[in-house]
Amino acid sequence: MLNVQNLVKIFNKGSVNEKTALDNVSFNLNKGEFVTIIGSNGAGKSSFLNAIAGNFPTDSGTVIISDKNVTNLPQYERAKYISRVYQDPMSGTAATMTIEENLVMALRRGEKRRLKLAIRNKDKDFFRQELRKLGLGLEERLTTKVSLLSGGQRQALTLLMATFKEPELLLLDEHTAALDPKTAEKVLQLTCDVTKESHLTTLMITHNLDQALNVGDRTIMMHEGRIILDIQGEQRKNATINDLLKMFENASGTHFHTDRVLFS
Amino acid sequence: MSSLVVLGTTEQGLMYAIMVLGVYLTFRILNYADLTVDGSFTLGAATAATLITSGYNPWLATGVAFILGSLAGCFTGILHTKFKITPLLSGILTMTALYSINLRVMGKANISLLRERTIFSDFESLPYMQEYGVLILALLAVIIIGFFVYLFLETEFGLALRATGDNELMIRSLGVNTDLMKITGLALSNGLVAFAGSFVAQNQLFADISMGIGMIIIGLASVIIGEVLVGTRTIARAVLAVLCGGVIYRGIIAIVLQLGLVATDLKLVTALIVILALITPQLRSKFSLPIKNV
Repeated sequence: MLNVQNLVKIFNKGSVNEKTALDNVSFNLNKGEFVTIIGSNGAGKSSFLNAIAGNFPTDSGTVIISDKNVTNLPQYERAKYISRVYQDPMSGTAATMTIEENLVMALRRGEKRRLKLAIRNKDKDFFRQELRKLGLGLEERLTTKVSLLSGGQRQALTLLMATFKEPELLLLDEHTAALDPKTAEKVLQLTCDVTKESHLTTLMITHNLDQALNVGDRTIMMHEGRIILDIQGEQRKNATINDLLKMFENASGTHFHTDRVLFS
Repeated sequence: MSSLVVLGTTEQGLMYAIMVLGVYLTFRILNYADLTVDGSFTLGAATAATLITSGYNPWLATGVAFILGSLAGCFTGILHTKFKITPLLSGILTMTALYSINLRVMGKANISLLRERTIFSDFESLPYMQEYGVLILALLAVIIIGFFVYLFLETEFGLALRATGDNELMIRSLGVNTDLMKITGLALSNGLVAFAGSFVAQNQLFADISMGIGMIIIGLASVIIGEVLVGTRTIARAVLAVLCGGVIYRGIIAIVLQLGLVATDLKLVTALIVILALITPQLRSKFSLPIKNV
C-alpha cells in the first residue's frame, strides 16, 4: 500500500544549520494497517509525514502509494490518495467559510474543481447524516461559519472531512494534542471508530505512549531521522510503557527525552 | 446638490463599483493586497481610448480592455507564485512596468474621445435612453457582473479560490493547485479593474496616463465602507456590500467637494479613511471595547 524506500531529507543543505530530518528511511505499510509513530522532539516524525504528503521535495529515495510512484508529484496531486489532520485545529478548516462549504471542498478532494455550483441539496442530506455521527449537533448548523466553532468541534469536523471520502492513506499528526483531555478522548474515539469501520490505512503521530501502544495495530519509534523500532503483534500486545522506554534506550543509546511526552 | 451632480455621481459610482469588485476579489477573497490595480485601471482606459480613436468598435475595445487587464493580473500572479516575489512587490513591479506600457499604448499622455463613438453614445441612441442611458448601462453592467461574480464564488472553483485566501495549507492538501488559484484570481480582478477603466474613460471622454494613481486606495476604502454599512454575512451580501461601497464612496467624495474641499486633497482624505478603518480594530482592543462582528 505505502512503500517508502531510502528516503532522505536534509534541511538547509550546505549551511551551518544543516539538519538531516530523514536519514535513509525505508518503511512498508500494508493496506488497512494502523500504525502509531512515537519519538522524541526533532526525531523526524512530522518530516516523515510531510515527505509522504509531498509538502517538500525530498533529496533522494522513493515514495510509492498503491503501486504508483508519487515521489515527484506535488502535494496537491497526491491529495487524491492522502488526507490529513494536523495538530492545530485551525489548520484543517477554512474559518471564514461555512460548515457545508468546508465539507463540500473535502468531498471533492483530489478532483478537478469545476465551474458548477458547489453545493446541491442531495449533498446537504449527506452532510447532515455524516455530521450526526459526530454527535456534536453540527448537523443543524450547516450554514454556520467555521470560525464560530470551538477547537474540538473544528478538529472533529476536520477528521470527518479527512475520512468521509475514504482516502488510501490517512495521516494524523498529533491531532488530539491541542485539545482538552475530554475532547481529545472524544476525537480519538471517533478516529478509532471511523478507521475501523472503513479499514483505513493510517499513520498517527502521538506523544502519548499509552495511546501509541493501545491504538492501532503497529508502533514505530523514530530517532534522529531513522526508524529505530518497529513492533507489532504479540510483542506489542505484551509491551508496557516501561518496556517501550527501555527498547528506546537500547536502540538509540540515549534517554527518551521530550518535554511533551505523556506516560499515562 | 443639483440633480445633475447626483446623476453624474451615481453614474461614476457604478463604474467605479466594478473596479471595487475587482479589488475585493484580491484584497478580501485572496487576502492579497494587489497594487497592480493602479496600472491596470489606466491600461483599460488607454486600450479603449486608443482602439476607439483608431476606429474600432467601442464594445470590442471594452472587451479588449478586460483581456489586457487580465494579462496584467496574470503577470503579477506569476511573479508572486512562480518566482516567490512578495505580493506587494509583485504588484508594484507590474504597476511600474504598466506606466511605460500605457504610454506606449496611448502614444501620448492623454487621448480625447470627444465626438467619438463610445458604448455610451451607442446606448443613448437606443429609444428612451437619451436622458438616463449612461446610468442604465452602468447599472446593467454592475448587476450582470455582480451576479456572475457571486455565482462564480459559489462554484467548486470559486470555493477553492476563497479557501486559497483563507487557509492555503488546507486547500492544497485537498488537492487544489493554489498557485493557479492566485493567478486566476488576480487575472479576474485586474480584468474587472481595466474594464471599469474603459467605462470611466468612455464616460468622461478622455483617457489620461495618471487616472489610475491611488486607485487601489479608493478600492480599499470603498470595500471597507461597503462592508461596514451593508455587512458580509454571506457571499451575496458581501458582493452587494462592495458594489454599494463603490457608489457610496463617490457620494462621500461629491459631498466633501461640494462642502468646499480642494480636489487635490481628495487622496489625503481617502488615505485617512483607509487608515481609520485599518486601525479601528486595534484601537478597540487597546481600549477594550467589544469588537463588532461585521
